[in-house]
Amino acid sequence: MRVLAVAGVALRRLVRDRTALLFMVVLPVVVILVVGASVRGFSTFRIGVVDLGAGPSGHDLVAALERAPGLDVRDYATAADAARAVARGQLATAVVLPAGMDRSLRAGEPVDVAVLAEQANSSEQAAAAQVAAVIAEQGGLVQAAVFATDQVAALAAGTDAYAANLARAAAVRPGVADVGVASEVVDAKATILPQGFSYSAPTMLVLFVFLNAVVGGAAVIQTRRLGMYERMAATPTAVSAVVAGETLAAVAIALGQAALIVGIGATAFGVSWGNPAAAAVLVALWALVSAGAGMLAGTLFRTPEQATAIGPSVGIAFAMLGGCMWPLAVVNEAMREVGHLTPHAWAVDAWTALIARGGTLATIAPQLGVLAAFAAGFLTLATVRLRRSLV
Amino acid sequence: MRAALVVAGRNLRQRLRDRSAVVIAVIAPLVVSALMSLAFSGVESFHYTLGVVDADGGPVAAGLLQALRQPELAKVVTVRRLDSRAAAAQAVRDKRVAAALVLPAGFSASVTGPRPLPIATLTSVDDTVAGTVTSSIASTFVAQLNADRLSVATALAAGVPADQSARLAAAAARLQIPVQAVQRALGSRPLAAVSYYAPAMAIFFVLFTVSFTARSFVAEREQGTVERLRATPAGARQIVGGTVLSAFVFAALAMGTIAVVTSAVFGADWGDPLAATVVGLSMVLAVTALTALVMGLARTQRQAEGISSAVVFGLALLGGNFVFVSVAPDVMQRAALLTPNGWALRAYMDLATGGGGLGTVAVPVAAILGFAAVVGAAAVALAPRAVRV
Repeated sequence: MRVLAVAGVALRRLVRDRTALLFMVVLPVVVILVVGASVRGFSTFRIGVVDLGAGPSGHDLVAALERAPGLDVRDYATAADAARAVARGQLATAVVLPAGMDRSLRAGEPVDVAVLAEQANSSEQAAAAQVAAVIAEQGGLVQAAVFATDQVAALAAGTDAYAANLARAAAVRPGVADVGVASEVVDAKATILPQGFSYSAPTMLVLFVFLNAVVGGAAVIQTRRLGMYERMAATPTAVSAVVAGETLAAVAIALGQAALIVGIGATAFGVSWGNPAAAAVLVALWALVSAGAGMLAGTLFRTPEQATAIGPSVGIAFAMLGGCMWPLAVVNEAMREVGHLTPHAWAVDAWTALIARGGTLATIAPQLGVLAAFAAGFLTLATVRLRRSLV
Repeated sequence: MRAALVVAGRNLRQRLRDRSAVVIAVIAPLVVSALMSLAFSGVESFHYTLGVVDADGGPVAAGLLQALRQPELAKVVTVRRLDSRAAAAQAVRDKRVAAALVLPAGFSASVTGPRPLPIATLTSVDDTVAGTVTSSIASTFVAQLNADRLSVATALAAGVPADQSARLAAAAARLQIPVQAVQRALGSRPLAAVSYYAPAMAIFFVLFTVSFTARSFVAEREQGTVERLRATPAGARQIVGGTVLSAFVFAALAMGTIAVVTSAVFGADWGDPLAATVVGLSMVLAVTALTALVMGLARTQRQAEGISSAVVFGLALLGGNFVFVSVAPDVMQRAALLTPNGWALRAYMDLATGGGGLGTVAVPVAAILGFAAVVGAAAVALAPRAVRV
């Protein structure tokens, strides 16, 4: 009973603190929205088109780019504007259609179309390759039209124009069996989280529940500095009840925040959190890990200011190391191993198994084991230190 | 004026002694930048290993293999020959190759016949970039074969007698698609992750100056320090101005330290020093104006904390300090330009990629100073309220 009373006080203090509530509720949701909307991956490339006066064949090429799946085409006035947009990352690549392109093609002269991309940049390279494929395919029509015009001219005094043959080529194309490209994805199971909100929601859950708990350690410090614990010790309340009550409140706060993020993720952002039982266990364990870290922070820091200053820094640094800000698959080997010294990496691995690979309790058992060890370690240390500071 | 300087000096000493403030404004962004540069070192160039299975052995397949060795493609892919489709699929699954191309047996013979065989690409869900590039390489290659087939068909449709189709096919096989994509470098430096996130994190953590300056000012007001100051000849604007000046100096010191350390140690590119300094000081000025505004608005420490947290995180989220805003939807990119930090980040990005100096940052600096002026005017109007006890 006394445990519940202690926990109740801690919870009421939180509910009355509107700043803390803002951090707990609004901030994670907004961050999930912003990050999810930004991390759209490679499903669509924005590409710029600069038409320096290419003529009809230029328009045809732009139309082909617009029809191509996965390309979002925007017009730019000058090559410099387009290049700046690529450098800023606003465009994945840009195509510059040269002046007089149509005239050259009619005359049977080859035309180079510049595709702006840096060799070192993977998304620019992927977009440039896709654009090159569209250009080659569109160029096939031109080749056929030029060839047919030449052949007919050789045959008789041909009056048939290039334009008519271009239309003819487009008309016969559907009837000509193509050499195709058959694509097969050989591994059905992903090892990284999908893009969009399914990426941002679980990683930000891991980040914010932990961060909030560590910052929440400030409450313990305040209580300690106000001498509340000493006064409680003067009552018949056992020290263990005080410690258990504080821990219970921290776990309840972490669970509440996690449940809120799961709920909003599922309803507002359409995130499928995977196997429900496994997800529930994972959320519960993460709440324990976070609460333990928060309690430990409460005993390690001396002032509430330290908790609010160092807490977010540690929380964000762990999140970066643990793969909440970017998948650990993209960093180098050594950093991947260092990352797994944080509980975050194990939690993100477990979410990946649940969300990307349809994992179950059995699949994520190893990660759950590690998280349980983290939780036990943090909570034990925090309890020992808190007891020592109370007695 | 002297009163303001005294207030500023005292506040600055207090801020520098407060280890929490130093941790947030200097240590945290440095740690984050270090992690960024460690995490992405060695993964910022793009190159992958492509498995190729040549079950055909014919001339067309040889043509593809030769195309893959052309300098343009060789920069992007390293070819590894594999024995069978099954072996290639396994290699992709084991991540020994990022993707694979399979040329089926009889491919060369089939491309001139009525039923050409397709090239197969084997890709992994984990490597969409290599998958996209591989499919595009295959598509670009078969585009030539298809163009030749289409050329014959079009010539026949244009009136060339059908008995000449063999001659046409031979002539078409010598053609090359007249429109070629040629990759050009941008003429700008590629943007390293650390060159974006070092300024992004410096600005984000410097925004916290709003929070601790405003909170400690409100605390002093509650303790009666401000009241005692008002008993002296110092005016409201001098008391507020001195506090605000200390925020300016502290934020400028923090920003400068981060810029110097990230450039020297982690190779972050802040661009032309003079232009970078002007952008940084404008941003610090905007932060200072925000600090003064929050000091005027907040009545309690709680309020100071709440308002400044909303300001800090609102601006950081909109401005792109957390996510690389360029890849975000258009509406978010426009929203970023409503914030001073969004403009500052754009300025640093342009400096790091395009070089250039003061001219490059003129528009961003004007925008940031405009923001600072509007917020600063509101703060000046609120200054008497700030010192009212």
